[in-house]
Amino acid sequence: MIPHVEQPIGARSMKQRIFGFGQFAAVAIQFGLIALVVDSWQLESQLLARLMWLSFAGFIIHHLLPLRFRLPFFAMLSLLAVVMGVGHLGPNVGMAWFTGKITTASFLYHLVPGLTLVGIGLGLIGVCHLPIRFGARVGLVALIGAGLTFLRANSHWFPDVTEMWIILGSMFMFRLMVYLYDLRHRTAPFSLSRAISYFFLLPNVCFPLFPVVDYKTFCSTYYNEDWPRIYQTGLKWMLRGVIQLLLYRLVYQYAPLDVYKLSSALDVAGCMLGMYLLYLHISGTFHLIVGLLLMFGFNLPETHHLYYLATSFTDFWRRINIYWKDFVMKLFFYPTHFKLRKMGTLWALSIATLITFLATWLLHSWQWFWIRGRPLLDWKDFSFWIILGVLVLVTAIYETTRGRKRTLRPSRVSLRQRLTVGLKAAGMFSLMCIIWAYWSCQSWTEFQALVDAASRPTLRELMIVFGVLVLICLCGMVWGWSSRETSEGRGTQASRAPFRFWPSAIAVTAGAVCLLAVPSVATRMIPASKGFIARLHSDVLNARDMAQQRRGYYEELDVGRTENWAWHGAEEPEGWSKGKMAFFRGRSDFLLRDIIPSTSTVLGGAPTTSNSLGLRDREYSKAKAANTYRIVLLGASNDMGTGVRNDQTYENLVEDNLNSRVPDARYSRYEVLNLAVAADSILQRVLRLEKEGFEYQPDAAILSVTAVDEQFVASHLRQALIQGVEPPPGYREVVESVVRRAGVKGKMPAVMIERRLQPYYTELCRWSFQRFAQQCAQHGVHPLVIYRPAPADFSGQESAGRTKLIELARAAGLEVIDLSPAFDSVADRSKLILAKWDDHTTALGHRLLADKLYEGVVPLLFGSPSNEQTSSRQKP
Amino acid sequence: MNPQDIKATVKTFILNEYLPGEDPAALTDTTPLMTTGILDSIAVLKVVTFLEGQFGITIEPHEAVLENLNTLSDIERFVTSKKA
Repeated sequence: MIPHVEQPIGARSMKQRIFGFGQFAAVAIQFGLIALVVDSWQLESQLLARLMWLSFAGFIIHHLLPLRFRLPFFAMLSLLAVVMGVGHLGPNVGMAWFTGKITTASFLYHLVPGLTLVGIGLGLIGVCHLPIRFGARVGLVALIGAGLTFLRANSHWFPDVTEMWIILGSMFMFRLMVYLYDLRHRTAPFSLSRAISYFFLLPNVCFPLFPVVDYKTFCSTYYNEDWPRIYQTGLKWMLRGVIQLLLYRLVYQYAPLDVYKLSSALDVAGCMLGMYLLYLHISGTFHLIVGLLLMFGFNLPETHHLYYLATSFTDFWRRINIYWKDFVMKLFFYPTHFKLRKMGTLWALSIATLITFLATWLLHSWQWFWIRGRPLLDWKDFSFWIILGVLVLVTAIYETTRGRKRTLRPSRVSLRQRLTVGLKAAGMFSLMCIIWAYWSCQSWTEFQALVDAASRPTLRELMIVFGVLVLICLCGMVWGWSSRETSEGRGTQASRAPFRFWPSAIAVTAGAVCLLAVPSVATRMIPASKGFIARLHSDVLNARDMAQQRRGYYEELDVGRTENWAWHGAEEPEGWSKGKMAFFRGRSDFLLRDIIPSTSTVLGGAPTTSNSLGLRDREYSKAKAANTYRIVLLGASNDMGTGVRNDQTYENLVEDNLNSRVPDARYSRYEVLNLAVAADSILQRVLRLEKEGFEYQPDAAILSVTAVDEQFVASHLRQALIQGVEPPPGYREVVESVVRRAGVKGKMPAVMIERRLQPYYTELCRWSFQRFAQQCAQHGVHPLVIYRPAPADFSGQESAGRTKLIELARAAGLEVIDLSPAFDSVADRSKLILAKWDDHTTALGHRLLADKLYEGVVPLLFGSPSNEQTSSRQKP
Repeated sequence: MNPQDIKATVKTFILNEYLPGEDPAALTDTTPLMTTGILDSIAVLKVVTFLEGQFGITIEPHEAVLENLNTLSDIERFVTSKKA
């Protein structure tokens, strides 16, 4: 039953009404500001921004409605959000239909996924209430669930509603269990609007990972306190969620998370810390979700309460995801314990705890299945949950037998007690960092490499780590005692902390205004912060994930790979990179791979063809025709033109330009032959020139280098080691020397090989430039090096990498054309990458590179005509 | 057993088991036990076992919840209803 907490209108004095209106206006302003913050920082997705505005409008109407209409209204609003969200039915679609740009049939087609979801959901709710035996109802639900599971596993049969399955799973996979449990025991009231509100919860359409809200709590906390307190708490939690999501972006973009690049114990500590802090994403979204639900009167308990300051494993379990804990306790722990209690408390506790964590693992796999379409049954995940379960159990047994210190007056906390809590928090934080890193690493070998990198810590590094732990200890001393905010005690007249509306409203307003103002104020005061703010604003992959995408992209080309590397393109559409299998082939020599001649496929979403010479290029005769100036280009995937059409690659654009402008009258034809092959290291590029490039009788050779080449060198040598490929004469000495000094062997885990080779990258680059210069001189070819900028600088290290490479090339006596300014005119660098999951250069990027390269190459190769613009070349 | 006796029995148990050394007067009939962490999920199990043994009742898993066990008054009400 819904408690009535408001006085009838007539019974309230004018003063109370004005005061109430003032509070409501303050709440509405704060809600609007938070929606603006979400929108302006582009948090999560565009859909979330839309949902925030829909919720804001819905909140105003909801509050103004009489109490008895509010729940049905919330149910309808939730259904509307589902239909609009799942069908991507935003204002643009509505406007397009209204103005006749799309047909009514197309408009209605957008409704299909959402209506399908609603239909299936209502059907499931209906089955729960069929007038048959409860056991039969459960059986029927299980049968339908099995059918839906089968369809989800084969969701490619219905490509237009793929997203629908994810949200359907998120709404019903756990909540249906809770609902049936409460229905069985009749622990809460049931009605259609309650059921719809509960399953189709308004924010759920934006968040596949959603807290498992308990049905009984959902019902019993509905407006169980005065609305100003509920709304203000919701706003506070939403702002907290927004801050956590921004902190998550900070960690995601800037923490040293790439295990392949760790070079010191401090890096390792930073990596472990970063991995643990990445959980801020879940914590932030849960705060946002729960806060949003409070705005509609569902006075749910606080989630993720200061879990980084947990003092023991049981404390961690009680603080982190309280919704999950309550769910598994209710459905697994208590029933198991009650069944086994005759065995004795400790036995029952032990078995029930282990079963609960086993269930947690299986249910996470179940969740993974609904979100990703396949179950996650991997030993690392299993071992993580079991390790955590055992640690919680050990702590629980200790607390049961030795007793946990409890007190009725938490204010009586001595400094010594505070210090104990602080030390425990610091210890627990360290342990969780290690366990979390183990869970977060892609593989066991990656974790081994992580440990390997931390083998020789310096005193300075140890002191820095110690300093961080001291900081956590201090935080634990100050905040470690605070308990979770809960409203569940309201029904039993439990005392709650005093609530002050206006200070809280001012704090939330100030916080939201700050978040809105920070970007413009910071960029005006500190212009250098522009890039930093831009990275926090955008939802792009970080350097590690982009590097992993590259690794994953070429994984299947890695013929000798012995490991089963668990990479899966996070959001890559099916078929996006499928074509690489048809485009490349393995080689048994140090080049490792090349392009299959005369083939066509799709790479990075673009049609890609190779010519009869095995180049990603137009057709050319192998022999150079008379009066032809021929250039060969050596590079990797961005030079090869992954993701753009043949006529859009920068080398073809330059070739077209040369042929149309004819910069040198001695030549009637200009040819740029693209010898670039995806993932070629600098060693492979130079070797490719020697083995193939000189056969084309080039007049000039362009060696393209970039800041991410480091990754290719390490992976090239690793693959060669694993496959047992000998470097050719001339290369053998330098490669063997590096391999010996790095202490790497073919049988080592790949990640460890790459990490250990990292310090030798500069040496190999220097050698490659020298070799390139020497070989070109021997063959009478004009050598050029171009520095090609990354379309988006995800690692923020391009500047340092560029300077180093250019210096090395110059030191080898080479002319360098720095193409870095090519992208200066593009403020939004995301326009230069193909997609969030693919950082290859777009057609726009290729055009800009072509313009800059033409400017630079003409004066160097043909002298500087007066009508040409000054190039950005830099002579040695 | 009257309601006061039930409360007194449970209060003694909780004081002895979980709050040794605390002032008995500070534990009132309305002092929240579960929402303040005095009774966590494992302590609740011990209280359940105690209630079953002491008052001869059988408690189901879905009854070991906040509204039945959060305060001494809740516990007394719950025990009385079970005995009835």
